[in-house]
Amino acid sequence: MTDARITADIRYSVDHKVPGMWHLRLVRAGIPAGTVTAIDATAVDDEVAVITPEDVLPHGKYGCQIADQHVLASEPKYLGDPVVAVVAATEKAARQAAAAIDVRYETSPAVFDELEAVQPSAPLVHAAHVTSNSDSAYFEMRPQDGTNVCHHFRIRTPGLRGRHEPNLLIDLPSPGDDRLADAFADADVVFEETFRTPAASHVPMEPHATVAEWVDGRLEVTTGTQTPFNLRQDLAVLFGLPAESVRVVAAPMGGSFGAKTFMRTEAIAAVAAKAVGRPVRCVLDRDEVFGEVTRHASTVRMRIGARRDGKFVAKQMLAYLNTGGYADCGPGVAQKMGYAGVGPYRFDHVAVDSYCAYTNLPPAGAFRGYGAMQSAWACERLVDMLADELRIDPVELRRMNLLRDGDAFCTGEIMRDTHFEELLDDVAKAVAWQDGRKGKGIAIMLKGMQTPSRAEAAIRSLPDGRFEVHSGTADMGQGSVEALTRIVADLLDVHPDRITVPCPDTDLVPYDTRTTSSRSTHMMSRALAEAARELRNGGTVGRGRIVNEGGLDPDTGEGIASSHWHQGAASAHVEIDDETGVIDVKTLYASSYAGTVVNRPAAELQNEGSMIMALGSSLFEEISYQDGQLVNPNLSDYNIASALDCASIQHRLMESPGAEVHGLGETAVPPVPPALGNAVASLGYRPRELPMSPERVLASRVDGRPAAR
Amino acid sequence: MSWQMPSTVDEALRLKADNPGATVIAGGTFLGILSGQGLLDNDEWISLQNISELKTLGTEGDLSVGAMVTHRRLELTPVVREDWPGLAQAFGVVASPRIRNVATIGGVLADADYASDPPSMLVASRAVAEVASVRGMRRVPIEDLIAGHYETTLADDELITRVVVPRPRGKGVYRKFRTRSREDRPTVAVAAAREDDRVRVVVGAVSDRPQHYADICAAWKPGDEDSAREIGAAYAEAIRCIGDGRGSAAYRRRVVGVEVRRVLMQVGP
Repeated sequence: MTDARITADIRYSVDHKVPGMWHLRLVRAGIPAGTVTAIDATAVDDEVAVITPEDVLPHGKYGCQIADQHVLASEPKYLGDPVVAVVAATEKAARQAAAAIDVRYETSPAVFDELEAVQPSAPLVHAAHVTSNSDSAYFEMRPQDGTNVCHHFRIRTPGLRGRHEPNLLIDLPSPGDDRLADAFADADVVFEETFRTPAASHVPMEPHATVAEWVDGRLEVTTGTQTPFNLRQDLAVLFGLPAESVRVVAAPMGGSFGAKTFMRTEAIAAVAAKAVGRPVRCVLDRDEVFGEVTRHASTVRMRIGARRDGKFVAKQMLAYLNTGGYADCGPGVAQKMGYAGVGPYRFDHVAVDSYCAYTNLPPAGAFRGYGAMQSAWACERLVDMLADELRIDPVELRRMNLLRDGDAFCTGEIMRDTHFEELLDDVAKAVAWQDGRKGKGIAIMLKGMQTPSRAEAAIRSLPDGRFEVHSGTADMGQGSVEALTRIVADLLDVHPDRITVPCPDTDLVPYDTRTTSSRSTHMMSRALAEAARELRNGGTVGRGRIVNEGGLDPDTGEGIASSHWHQGAASAHVEIDDETGVIDVKTLYASSYAGTVVNRPAAELQNEGSMIMALGSSLFEEISYQDGQLVNPNLSDYNIASALDCASIQHRLMESPGAEVHGLGETAVPPVPPALGNAVASLGYRPRELPMSPERVLASRVDGRPAAR
Repeated sequence: MSWQMPSTVDEALRLKADNPGATVIAGGTFLGILSGQGLLDNDEWISLQNISELKTLGTEGDLSVGAMVTHRRLELTPVVREDWPGLAQAFGVVASPRIRNVATIGGVLADADYASDPPSMLVASRAVAEVASVRGMRRVPIEDLIAGHYETTLADDELITRVVVPRPRGKGVYRKFRTRSREDRPTVAVAAAREDDRVRVVVGAVSDRPQHYADICAAWKPGDEDSAREIGAAYAEAIRCIGDGRGSAAYRRRVVGVEVRRVLMQVGP
């Protein structure tokens, strides 16, 4: 197959242009919190359409999990929140018009830090928290009214349930007033620490790009999105239309990594297209992409108790997610961060409280790793600290406590197809663990897949002998078109040239939950297998439908967190310049359980890409804010890893004969930062905060107690 | 918008004299970012791209570098690598090959960005810029050309046409200290040029312009670690470092001490 990316045949969402279209620019709030008091557009040309918050008020609020966002804000929640839209015949005219608009504000108190946001005295970003009617709100929300917490996810293993506990914990309770203190009764050693991760940007090469058009009363949107069906539903609700009256075409994306999920600029583009009666295009500038949606900055407080012999007894975790001015899918991230932070270990007792907190920063949402990275950073660093304390080898301490087939996870679900021990041994070997541990670190993690979810697919045989695959799986650069082509060619036993895969178009393809959480190859491959079976049985169309049931009780965490588990481990070997704190990565290795690999080169690229992204997060990627202003929204001030930074990367896809297909899109993200952090720690440092900039490394030096190892 | 593309230096100088407000563009790597971010909005541009006389590189005697010579050429030209190794090194660590293929020596000096690699090595090497206008030509040492943050001593009608770098009288070393990606700008840039038993140490990227202290350097004892350490400490003490996303002022001060010591040990004994 010739890759359309290489022959420039691919038409990305940013390439989509239609004759007669106008151009949209957004005027963004200059304050982090407050109210728009006046909009002066008198300096704008008459031919330019100006859309204000008042104009969009009738549409009501939307949000994939919490309905908290207007299409334009009259009460901006962060610096950069769109308050006015202008639509003009040329891009230049739209830019000039946007610059000519004068917006006046009355400011109100703002809060930026997630720990400050959960304090009782914090200014409220939203007065009330209303759960969204969207399908994307797939579990019960637990908003804490009168606080900035829009969702509180809890895990309480059976022995810890039914107690009267405070709704909101700001800090790990001291043993005296801890209603869960008995969980640690059997522990000889109790260890706790606080870990932080900043906001980060996905940095897709292609910005968000949308064209919206009204055709005979129907809304048609061509956009880069991982969530075409969620988007269709949310747009339909906003415009009071049946879902069938909205068509979403998910054009191929030049990268997304979670940035192009749920509603982004599609709603305002649709409003604008209606206002001017023509197609309207909206493409964000790079600095706008930085502020559109970020990774959740998070603070994780974690306490672990173990017996002297190393057996884990209990874990307590408090996670605070900074979800910014709008919840987006923050509640879902809070849930996943919550159970991923427990790690792939057996405990007698687990208590997790994960708080998704509003602040006056740009919204945070889906980001490759989906919360697991932030809590794996805490979990795996803490295991190493405990190993130091107990003087037990970190690999052996983990081995002793790993989940194995038949063990119950903290959610109560019974684990199967576990490969943690093999992964652990593999990554230890990659850094010659047996030859000494100085400068070396390992980490292991489990990460869930979107559960519950549903994938449907159809295969249509065309008159010319080819087969057309109808699938909602969006191509964001991961090569889903190629994966689907290969899968169907194999299933039908025909040459891949006879397979065609049009991009997801909600008018054409059947429902799919979304292309996220590394679920597509796993789910869609099975839906296609059903479709192929039906097609072989006769007729011109075969249909398949796969549902994974499950979900978690928000108050106890009981249930099915994931219908299959992403299992990954990493190891690192580093040297540190003790005078400057610079980390020199000699080896960075990750091992991901793949089950059966569908497309080896693409699967390897997923592993490598995950590691590269995680390397950046480990060492230097960080969105910086000053008083709510994003101060490094460009690729000079915000660095991502370059080719020269990646020389040390090696990895493995661990296969198992006859095993099912496992998602791989993110597995190698979460274990990388703690593997590097543990390697750094082995040289006499105690990193708790990402990224591990040289300055932070120096500051974390363990004074008077050189490397414990 | 007007985009002028003169083909001779004389023509460019005339255009600049007639329109001192026009923006002169060389490789465009710096101005591209500025206009992309909306920090520069000019309708009148003069591109030097078609002026072949600005692309000459002379290596007989002193190194004579036309203003439009790219970083990549200085990095890769064998005789530059052989005879001016410190310079080739400084130009060779700028950003990525994609940038080095178009960024020019004239551009990096005219934009006077504090966080560039080449200026400190050029100052250490006693490089001199030839600056021309319709009024004539003058020679300006690089330390007098860069006046501060994004500020030069060029008059409105002047252009940098050439940079002359004397033949080294000893070893030259450039140390780029990065805290983030390998393609990042320096957090601390330290250049040292040995001149027989003396040395010129210049520290860049830590303040508004490259910093050189002849008096501190005068105490240098080649190959002596204590002397190197003292000079490092004295530089750290003397420079008022700034803080930015690459490192705080306090951290930079610490690194200046370390990196100056290290560069001195590399150019000695």
